[in-house]
Amino acid sequence: MLHNAKDNYITSVKNHVSQFEEKSFRKLASNDFKSWPSPREETWRLSRLGVLTRKEITPIIPNPKKKISSMPKFNDSTIIRFVDGAFREDLSSKLPPGSYLNILGEEDSISLFNKFKNSNLKNHPSTNVSFSCTPSIVKLTIEKNVSIGDLFEIIYEGGDENLSVHPALYVELKDNSSITIIERFNHLSSLIMPLQLVELKKNASMNSLKIFNDNQQSYNLAANCTFLSDKSNYNSFSLIKGGLFTRSETHAYLIGENCNLTLNGVYLSSKNQHHDLTTAIYHDVPNCTSKQIVRGVLGGESTGVFQGKVRVAPDAQKTDGQQMSRAILLSENAIANAKPELEIYADDVICAHGATVGEIDDEQLFYLKSRGILEKKAKQILITAFLKDIINESVEESIQNFVFEEAELALSEIISKEI
Amino acid sequence: MSLLEIKNAKLKLNDKDILKGLSLSVNKGEVHAIMGPNGSGKSTLSYMLAGRGGYDLESGEILLDGQSLLEMEADERARSGLFLAFQYPVELPGVGGMSFLREAVNSRKKFLGEEELDHLAFIKEARKVASKMFVKDEMLKRAVNVGFSGGEKKRFEILQMAMLKPKVSILDETDSGLDVDALKIVSDGVNAQRNVDNAIVVITHYQRLLDYIVPDFVHILSDGNIIKTGGPELALEVEKNGYAGLINAA
Repeated sequence: MLHNAKDNYITSVKNHVSQFEEKSFRKLASNDFKSWPSPREETWRLSRLGVLTRKEITPIIPNPKKKISSMPKFNDSTIIRFVDGAFREDLSSKLPPGSYLNILGEEDSISLFNKFKNSNLKNHPSTNVSFSCTPSIVKLTIEKNVSIGDLFEIIYEGGDENLSVHPALYVELKDNSSITIIERFNHLSSLIMPLQLVELKKNASMNSLKIFNDNQQSYNLAANCTFLSDKSNYNSFSLIKGGLFTRSETHAYLIGENCNLTLNGVYLSSKNQHHDLTTAIYHDVPNCTSKQIVRGVLGGESTGVFQGKVRVAPDAQKTDGQQMSRAILLSENAIANAKPELEIYADDVICAHGATVGEIDDEQLFYLKSRGILEKKAKQILITAFLKDIINESVEESIQNFVFEEAELALSEIISKEI
Repeated sequence: MSLLEIKNAKLKLNDKDILKGLSLSVNKGEVHAIMGPNGSGKSTLSYMLAGRGGYDLESGEILLDGQSLLEMEADERARSGLFLAFQYPVELPGVGGMSFLREAVNSRKKFLGEEELDHLAFIKEARKVASKMFVKDEMLKRAVNVGFSGGEKKRFEILQMAMLKPKVSILDETDSGLDVDALKIVSDGVNAQRNVDNAIVVITHYQRLLDYIVPDFVHILSDGNIIKTGGPELALEVEKNGYAGLINAA
């Protein structure tokens, strides 16, 4: 019986492909989806998909008239909407000068598919399934020398029980361009497999904020592949708070010299949620920096995972790679796993990593209590500070309050139950 | 009645006797200095009084203004009017100085049944007190103790003392890590708060601090007990002859 359910999804993915006219990359992708990752695979050992694989799921056929429920969070942002995984031009804003959206044709789709297949995301289930089933691959291009002042807000919603959703977005920043993009994942109970490729050309700069807040029954297996050319900057912050099971996996390739990468994140987990931030950073050339700070607060019977791999190739001298993860457990039944992995083949580098999992710092708690502050309040202050600290360090000042408020909603739910 | 009364306090840490029946009585308006060599139990005494977990008395009693502290957690002791200025003030990344002060002061006010200060009134009050302590506004905006110099940390401790208006303040090695100028600022801050209704216990290694905060009584702590009590001249004797002579004589 168990095998049937697993095979059913594989079959339904193949069947889904038949409805599309352009089948080349879809067929290749669906042929590569032979099974779900098993817990014997090292990168999936701490995030097991057993329950998901036993569900009866089929890829969604997007409803082009579906009503939306997520409102924008900023008054003057440029909105891009995906509903049921499909780009909805009718619900999106007109783009500012120097930026445009287009749907990739077959040839470009194949070339994008090959980029994923040449990366270490080649066997990620979202790579194979979403290339098979995505309604279309959307490309956002920022032209050379254009600095987009407007905030871009990309809202993903839709989905339904026992359906899988497959938004695919390709972002290209041409030379000397810059943008700030906020992505919010607000799907209803289903399986969400977002694919994203980001290419930063010379001296391009992107701030990316992702808020994972899907419905409490959802599985989100986001896969992001990012390439950084000379002197480019990618500053990314992910806030994971929703879903039953959310794993955001990012692979960043530093292929040009003098580029800077930040991949920070926070997960806030309660009840039986499972949250996973998995990253891989590939320093392939000299003189680049990468920085990662990941923090988690866990209550209930939740599980948090941080897996961070940093590979420094033999030629990547003068690399500066920093990685730090810290999780606070507020419940005896919560679990946090941290797995830093450094593979360093160059000799003139600075690489540091540290990981701690524990309770609230005893010294700090005593200091606050010694000032008359009630224990409960003192704990709230410390946990709030734990998040505020990293948010302020990670995102630009104009959106710090917004991110903090988003975090606070989830945090207060954890705190109210545990403290 | 004494403001702070420690009666026959015994305390073990890791099965080792640290305080061995210590008694001390501090009255309103008094400043007491407790001096002692390394390992005599000075820091244990301050943590015990403040109610740090793991520093519970095995036997004995502590009364603050007639009320037993033994059953109280650290926060309740503080709200009741006990203050500990830390030897090593703790850094609180992400906790802004002003909001920390406000939370502390309002906790105490609420306990005393006084009206809590609103945001603006509080800022005004804090700035006023801070300027007397040479604590810049900019320091209050920063995270508590993060990136503060040794002197700034101690000034911030005394600023908290000034805002909380405790009945009894324990100053644990407040002179450590201070140069002469900083020592003077901090001492002036402490002296400004001496009045007939409160009391201060200064715990220190060195006589130096007592030139600035002149005590009414000096106690020598050795091996978990007070072995000698005298006036300020006792501190000078320690400075001149060291602790060894006193300890051997006792």
